[in-house]
Amino acid sequence: MEEKNIVDIWRSYDQKLEESRILNMQSWVLNLKNFEFLQSQKAKSVLNRLTTGKWFTVILGIIWVVFLVFLVLNSLTINKIFFVVSAGMIAIITGIAIVVYLKQIFLIRQINHSNSIVETQDKLAHLKLSTLWVTRILFLQCPFHTTWFLNWEMLKHAPTGLLIFQVAITVAFTFLSVWLYRNISDKNMHKKWFKVLFGGSGWTSLILAKDFIEEIDEYRQDHIA
Amino acid sequence: MNQTHGKENFLRLIEENKRIIFKICNAYCSNKHDREDLAQEIIYQLWKSAGSFNSDFRFSTWMYRVALNVAISFYRKAKNIKAIVPISDDLNHVPETSGTHHIHEENINLLQQFIHELRELDRALMILYLEEKSHRDISEIIGISETNVATRISRIKEKLKQRFANINQ
Repeated sequence: MEEKNIVDIWRSYDQKLEESRILNMQSWVLNLKNFEFLQSQKAKSVLNRLTTGKWFTVILGIIWVVFLVFLVLNSLTINKIFFVVSAGMIAIITGIAIVVYLKQIFLIRQINHSNSIVETQDKLAHLKLSTLWVTRILFLQCPFHTTWFLNWEMLKHAPTGLLIFQVAITVAFTFLSVWLYRNISDKNMHKKWFKVLFGGSGWTSLILAKDFIEEIDEYRQDHIA
Repeated sequence: MNQTHGKENFLRLIEENKRIIFKICNAYCSNKHDREDLAQEIIYQLWKSAGSFNSDFRFSTWMYRVALNVAISFYRKAKNIKAIVPISDDLNHVPETSGTHHIHEENINLLQQFIHELRELDRALMILYLEEKSHRDISEIIGISETNVATRISRIKEKLKQRFANINQ
């Protein structure tokens, strides 16, 4: 088949669209009154999809951090040192995650569909992958959830077996959180544990984002060549 | 210019170019409901991005950028991406008139199926090529060099020729 024939087929598609009146089926969208309605509905839904979920998380996170800071400031005694350090670290790590979320919201607002396809889609795919960062950071909280309730009195009087169990749990959570922090990355996406951790649809969307970034990179490599 | 006049003007431009929007929706969505949603999303995003339209460029070039970006994002957000849709269900409703017409229809379906099989960026490239945009325009819309555009189009066309050749054997 010649090049001209392929373009001719596409032209005949134009003709077919006219004949089948498919375009008229969508004409309601082009009515001014309907368009205004669509505009108001879409304004809500687009914001919902892109940022409302993240804003909600940020607000909850801020409330949680403020609550923890309040508790820490009211517990500044040597006997509550475990609580102060644990709650303080949880507040700091949550605070870092909030900053990452705010950065994502800022990036979403920066996305301009009028820019070139490669530029816009690259930003969107990287934004999707940046959710990995938040997960990695939040896992670092895990060991502190095993120590916040401890105090010196409890440790002095606790049986040796319980102390060993406590240390084992804290060490295990520390190891696990550091391991996850180091290993949650796009390089490990195809591993089974990663798929289990992120769930079915979450994992699929991350894989799609990674594959798409590779496709975009491939386009750019050709450009360099 | 008041807002209503601005909207009327915008809708006139959309009306003139709605064929493009429909073709893009058809290339990225597998069912009618999704296509209608995408058409609305594209028109909304065009309106929202209207402020960024630079009159140094042609309206259609700007429109292709916005529409293809929205279509690719929409396609990627879809929960269940259906692999291949051989033919648009809307187009099936067109009555047959002659044998030649039937051959044309088969070719259109085959071309549509081929476009659906392409990856997102290649699909955008192919639509622009078939719309007879210049390499320069395609390069501006996609964001790659003209040389790169030429190389990629040539590869895709080669695949397409082979596909048609295999069918006709």
